[in-house]
Amino acid sequence: MTPFEIIQTHYCRRDLAARAWKQKGGKVVGYFCDNVPEELIQAAGFFPYRLSGDPTGTVEIAEKYPPTGTMAAPREGFVNSMFNRLMTGEYDFLDFLVVPHARETIHRLHQVLAEIKDQNPSFHLPELYFLDNLHTTFYWSGVYNRLRWREFKTTLEQWSGKEITDMALSDAIAVTNENRTLLKKIAALRAADPPRISGTQALRIIGSSMFMLKEEHNRRLSQFLDELDKLSAKDGVRVFVEASPLDHLQLYDIIESCGAIVVGEDHCWGNRYSDVLINTAGDPFEALADRYHNKSPCPRMFPLSRRIDYCVNSAVSAGAQGAIINVYEFDEALMWEIPDAVKALEEKGIPSLHLRNQPYRIADPDLLTSRIREFIKSI
Amino acid sequence: MSDTIAGELKIAGEMNAYQRKWLANVRERVGNGEPFAICNGDEFEEIFNAMDIPVMVLNYWSKIIATEAKASYYKKVLKERGYDPLHLFFSLGLACAMDNNPETAPWGGLPKPSVIVGGSKHDREMKVLELWARECGCPFIPMEFGLNTTPEQPPLPPRWWERMRDHWDELIDPDRLNVRVEEEKSLIRFLEITTGKHFSPAKLDRVAELINEQMDYWGKVRDLIAATIPCPVSLPDQIAMYQAMWHRGTEMGCNFIKAYYEEIKERVEKGIFANPNEKLRLMYIPATTPAYAGFLEETYHASLVCFGYSSIPIDCYARTVHNNDALRTLASRHMVLFSETPDWRLKDAQLHQCDGVIEVIDPAMPSLNKPLFDASGMPLLSLYTDKDTRDIKSRLSRWIETTVLPNHKGVTL
Repeated sequence: MTPFEIIQTHYCRRDLAARAWKQKGGKVVGYFCDNVPEELIQAAGFFPYRLSGDPTGTVEIAEKYPPTGTMAAPREGFVNSMFNRLMTGEYDFLDFLVVPHARETIHRLHQVLAEIKDQNPSFHLPELYFLDNLHTTFYWSGVYNRLRWREFKTTLEQWSGKEITDMALSDAIAVTNENRTLLKKIAALRAADPPRISGTQALRIIGSSMFMLKEEHNRRLSQFLDELDKLSAKDGVRVFVEASPLDHLQLYDIIESCGAIVVGEDHCWGNRYSDVLINTAGDPFEALADRYHNKSPCPRMFPLSRRIDYCVNSAVSAGAQGAIINVYEFDEALMWEIPDAVKALEEKGIPSLHLRNQPYRIADPDLLTSRIREFIKSI
Repeated sequence: MSDTIAGELKIAGEMNAYQRKWLANVRERVGNGEPFAICNGDEFEEIFNAMDIPVMVLNYWSKIIATEAKASYYKKVLKERGYDPLHLFFSLGLACAMDNNPETAPWGGLPKPSVIVGGSKHDREMKVLELWARECGCPFIPMEFGLNTTPEQPPLPPRWWERMRDHWDELIDPDRLNVRVEEEKSLIRFLEITTGKHFSPAKLDRVAELINEQMDYWGKVRDLIAATIPCPVSLPDQIAMYQAMWHRGTEMGCNFIKAYYEEIKERVEKGIFANPNEKLRLMYIPATTPAYAGFLEETYHASLVCFGYSSIPIDCYARTVHNNDALRTLASRHMVLFSETPDWRLKDAQLHQCDGVIEVIDPAMPSLNKPLFDASGMPLLSLYTDKDTRDIKSRLSRWIETTVLPNHKGVTL
């Protein structure tokens, strides 16, 4: 298999590497979202594994446990899907699960899972850990986040039975920095004129880095990049995607079937995962904390202007000719940003197509294809 | 003692009238250059009050907008701006600011705020408030750890309301509280710099005393209502008096509830009741009066004697100041106020000598109260709306006739 085929295999069979690791006696720490410091997990000797949904799967069990509480937000489809996969045993290889303070529906999953684990042990859920993380990047939030990340480090040490030394953390940082540097090269190849990598290829490459051992991903990705001359130039209208978390290829497949190339995006399964490295000078824990405190913002973060600047700067630097904005049903944080994003993109000469209240599993691909095709033609 | 039908509670009429006058007065003060603040419910109001900065609580403002039947108009305003909110209620204030039309706005609208404060209760909150502040050209100060943002904490213990006043420190994470206190201190400093108003710890101590005094009077009212059959005050009047909550920690807010208590006490002594023919007592869990209240009274002589907020003042807001630190005590309350646990609801229903409880719930969510209520024998009806429809009336009748009345021997209608 070519390096890309190997990467693609891991994107499709997302549990492959984690199960192999487990078979060799290793332990797997699952986590939601991209704000969990995976370097700490790796430094503790565990396999860090990011959970994802499956738009083709069912959510029957998750729906039996609706969110509760005053004005609790309904779960987005991808959150329900991840929850359901946990309940059906698709994630039975996880030894531990870190639920971060991310979007509200993820945050609230911790309590639901804890109650289920307590009341119904037959579901065999992994040991749970809640990792708090605040909404602002102010000084006091940073003080607090550091406190919680230190507690997380201590918990990992208890789970593994060994100390996470500065050297182990520095090593893990070096590996993830290398990974992010390679992923930035992928981002540059997409932003090149003409692009050398398509959006669907990029999503596979970025996503698989969260399902594979980082060292292995680095090796395969380096091999892939060594064979750059084999990559043909891509042709098509350059499109930027602003979106709710896209842990699948459905939307990009449709966009790229309409004569466009997705040259960049703003969501946590795309370039936003990898665009900020960790400073390797000084204390590794402090450097790690700085990176996670100040990394590129997701929609739950304050202020709005930082989010809009991130979206527009990413679109401009990718040389986008148009933007497709895909907001999932119930994704409230992103929904409130979109009018500002549309206006700011327009001011930069980037027209956009706003797809509102989209189901996680695309309900009518033909209809969506025709809307997107029409938009691409209009650019 | 003779049973007399009560008219509208005098103090409730005064409360309603006062609120409009209060807002008109705030507009005048702002016109003269004084500051004005908007904040989310239970975020920081007492400190604004202690600094003599009038504050409008956004959930109260949304309620006023909804009560004035402006919600669909403002929904259109939001749509025109490209927003399609999932929770319209929370965004009504923003829409009103976007519309910026005192002719259309309820009560002549809000004056320009000097600051908007809110935070992280929900994903929507920070966004809506930030947009609102931008619309008004004022700063937005986001606060971490708003109410209910800590669901991962162990649930509150059984009978938590008995520990809330004196043992609140057991119910909160001290590290989170440290951050919250620092945030509130920073906000005080910001306000001192930008408004010229001064923060006095002594004044905050007095505010903390007044809060407890006000809540204690509310507790006495609650106990009188609970113990008196027939009920001495109608549900709309009880709800109207809740507006005094938005003047928490002020002499005026305290005086309103003291007068409320005295009027209810007088009614009880004179035998004046909201529904002298009361045969059934019901609890209604939302903080509104359902459109079918009249139907219940006329058909079944049923009174709605308490509602979802009846015990909040005395069970949740009263706090003993620890270590002479009123700011930390209040900050803790800005983070943990209550939890809608079934044991708390059942306690209230039993305390008020209710024959049944009606709750309005989201159709997508199961009733949290049902298992405990079923086990206790307290009849519970879960409805999806407070509207007065034929179907709802029929469900109410079926529930009363087949579940409530058989439980309530000796009642003949």
